[in-house]
Amino acid sequence: MILGRDDAQALTKKILALSKADSCCVSISGTEERYLRYAQNMATTAGSPSSLGITVESHFGMRTGSATGSDTDDDSLAALVAQSEQIAKLAPENPEFMPPIGPRKYVTGTGFSPATQAATSDMLAAAVKPVLQQAEAKSIQASGFVDIGTSFSSFGNSAGLFVYDQQSEVLHTVTVRTPDGTGSGWAGATHCDFSKIDIAGMGASAVDKAVRSQKPVRLDPGKYQVILDPSCVFDLMSWMISYFDQRSADEGRSFATKKGGGSRLGEQLFGKNVTLYSDPNDPLVPGTIYSDDGLPAQKQMWIEKGVLKNLQCSRYWAKKMKLNAVPSPTSLTLAGGTATTGDLIKQVKRGLLITRFWYIREVDPQTVLLTGLTRDGVFLIEDGAISKPVCNFRFNESPVAMLNKVVAMGPSVRAYGEESVGLPVAVPQLLVDDFTLSSVSDAV
Amino acid sequence: MGGCACATLLPSALFLGERNALAIAAAEKLDLPAKLKLAGIAIDTAKAGGASYADFRLCRYQTEYLECREHRLEESSAGVSAGFAVRVLLDGTWGYASSPLATEDEVRRVAARALEVAKASQPLQTRKFVLEDLPVYNDSWDMPMKADPFVVPSDEKIARMLAATEAALKAGANYATLSFAFVREEKFFASSSGSRIQQTRVRCMPDGEVTVVDEATGRFSSRASLAAPRGSGYDYILGYDFAGEFAKAAEQAHEKLKAKPVTPGKYDLVLDPTNLWLTIHESVGHPTELDRALGWEANFAGTTFCTPDKLGKLQYGSKLMNIVADRSQEGGLSTVGYDDDGVRAIGSEFHIIEDGVFKNYQMAIGQAQLIGQPRSNGCAFADSWDSFPIQRMPNVSLQPNPKPCSLDDLIGDVKHGIYIIGNNSWSIDQQRHNFQFSGQLFYEIRHGKLGPMLRDVAYQGSTVEFWNSLDGLGDKSTYFLGGAPNCGKGQPEQTAPVSHGAVPGLFRGVNVLNTERKDLS
Repeated sequence: MILGRDDAQALTKKILALSKADSCCVSISGTEERYLRYAQNMATTAGSPSSLGITVESHFGMRTGSATGSDTDDDSLAALVAQSEQIAKLAPENPEFMPPIGPRKYVTGTGFSPATQAATSDMLAAAVKPVLQQAEAKSIQASGFVDIGTSFSSFGNSAGLFVYDQQSEVLHTVTVRTPDGTGSGWAGATHCDFSKIDIAGMGASAVDKAVRSQKPVRLDPGKYQVILDPSCVFDLMSWMISYFDQRSADEGRSFATKKGGGSRLGEQLFGKNVTLYSDPNDPLVPGTIYSDDGLPAQKQMWIEKGVLKNLQCSRYWAKKMKLNAVPSPTSLTLAGGTATTGDLIKQVKRGLLITRFWYIREVDPQTVLLTGLTRDGVFLIEDGAISKPVCNFRFNESPVAMLNKVVAMGPSVRAYGEESVGLPVAVPQLLVDDFTLSSVSDAV
Repeated sequence: MGGCACATLLPSALFLGERNALAIAAAEKLDLPAKLKLAGIAIDTAKAGGASYADFRLCRYQTEYLECREHRLEESSAGVSAGFAVRVLLDGTWGYASSPLATEDEVRRVAARALEVAKASQPLQTRKFVLEDLPVYNDSWDMPMKADPFVVPSDEKIARMLAATEAALKAGANYATLSFAFVREEKFFASSSGSRIQQTRVRCMPDGEVTVVDEATGRFSSRASLAAPRGSGYDYILGYDFAGEFAKAAEQAHEKLKAKPVTPGKYDLVLDPTNLWLTIHESVGHPTELDRALGWEANFAGTTFCTPDKLGKLQYGSKLMNIVADRSQEGGLSTVGYDDDGVRAIGSEFHIIEDGVFKNYQMAIGQAQLIGQPRSNGCAFADSWDSFPIQRMPNVSLQPNPKPCSLDDLIGDVKHGIYIIGNNSWSIDQQRHNFQFSGQLFYEIRHGKLGPMLRDVAYQGSTVEFWNSLDGLGDKSTYFLGGAPNCGKGQPEQTAPVSHGAVPGLFRGVNVLNTERKDLS
């Protein structure tokens, strides 16, 4: 359910008027979606879900309580406010409580697309049909998912702040498998504008990878020079950003902790060719215009030329440590280079092209060591050219370490992977030295 | 007709009584006649639009979340999420729509939207979905429990949590967190076949961790709580000694900092059920889902090595291996009367693995006939009112050894091995062959005796080889019910709660890694 700015603001004012607390915050969000899921070259499920959520957070002194509901009638809103107040009154004081902030200035959001909001289920089916036709023409099986959604969110409080944002997202992913069970290819992308996403092109890419990945050879595990497609880099950056936390570093439980205490802000922890930042108006990955507690999202450097520049920092921790608050990112960009895939392949004497990762989990938070697997297409590169498909591997590697071993990179593109943390992410294809592959997987 | 759940009354605070009265009033906004009327409108609209089958689910989820950190309450929140969905089968094509607004006009609009969505997909429907005939039920089922967590005062819960985090600090921890999450799930289901089913169940989900830091070396170590999420009342929380566990966890986290790094190689592993339940989930639960075998999850969760030609033939594990699927186990997160297709689930247990042989898949409606089976075995689940029901796991549990066998007996049978407690870091490939799991605590086993603590242990294996190396199993006295509140599958992704019972198992010659990366430290 989508509320426009005026309706969301009116609802926020109505809720704030009901509040008897010392201070109060109101968050409202809603979505309208349409999706189509297909497998084995046919539709499997299709839907059109809709949601609405209203959260009221009440404060009495340093006591806080919150309640969430979805009904907007007067009685339900009054009950919601009363419930949050009762929870707050019963809560012990939180010495880390921070009062709501006053009005702020925000950038103008650029993540909404009328074309996406207007898209219909017929249009989804029409967009997917060429993918199935390509697969059928080659007697192979396509499975995929296309999801278009419009969402809104607003945040208001008793200190006079109100902010509203509307976003659109289109997601399409497709996996194509060969009938002999030895080949599999994947493609996936997101965009805010339905008219700009090339679903048929993704189908063609997945078909091509599936055909080329058939009958892979088994290589020994070990350290390899690898080219990581943007999907893989997306997954690793999405994991890594969650470790960029000032408090964890100051408390001694982070890769960014200095031996003997304190954080490693300002240190050259990564290669000089690495720059990672967030920008809510990045044209590739426009993000939500506000973040934690209603703080404005703004351009924020995390790594600049390899130097650790900032870590996420709550308002409480910033006050205690005399730092600036750094809200959570609403988008993420790893700056890229200019190399094409062909340029990168030519630089590899013996290495691997990895197109997708799967099931990544933390092994050691101290070093951000992660494990996961390759999937849907791994290719051996010999003497600057792809020579053959190879079996999948399990990897045990740290993105923090990996960003010290980047040899070359392509341009940054809007990417998608399965380890999404809900942020739009732009990353390049990377050529990386000494990537640790710990065992072989028989999965295709 | 299931019995009504009766909560044991606990000491209550005046304010809390008022608060819960509000929440419960919100939860009971629609009485049964109103639900039946809305269901009738949805199904009539679907039928008038040509649907051969339709169902209507109206759900309400009441939640409470509390989180403590060290000496303070970090979060106290409550919520209600409610809405309905209409699912239609139109000339063999599924369509689905949902809304949070449960009014008659909105039900008509949403049913029409579901028909529109199905019609749009029909050009892609090269094989029509066909549903089996299912028995019709008019029933209600309520999860039995002693103490309803939603009538227990928050201050009782907060005091219990702070007692645990403070016990950890007193025992030398630098940091400690503990959260309690509670869910009451109320579902009303009606189908065009004539079923009308109301169900209520509750989940208690504790989660916590203790951390110690050695500033001199810059190293830190954590020990997560072994408390499992359960489909239980608050009596489960009352029966768990969080303060005792957190004090012990602080000592163990210190011990982990000084533990000996493991030497990589082949070891006999004794896996505690607090570790083994997750290995069962990943390497037995997921591979035996029929939708994966049919290729319907190829684009996300993956397919499976366990193809239909292996049914009744594959020696999945040693003869000690018996895995049973149920939806009736006390405390089980998947325990329920009827699944979200309206298939009777309770009392329909089946073997997935019997004496080591692969015997049955888990199924939802519209799948069984594709492998020559008569009907679904009741494994459908939708994680919300706005989600499409898909095949999800029932409780999938490793059966105890019928012969007496203790944990000590298993350890006593190992010359050179490791005993692993708790789970941590899990990953498996998309066809469920290659896995890597870690744990919370690792102890060396030498000549049948437990030795010192080890660190940086993870074991890797391939599913069938691993389960065929099973050479010892605890008896029923060693049984433990683990589980996960958030198993992900499907697109859009849904998270399902699922339990796994297990006993300790002895596995021979498993590959163990040392996960420390000295080049990264």
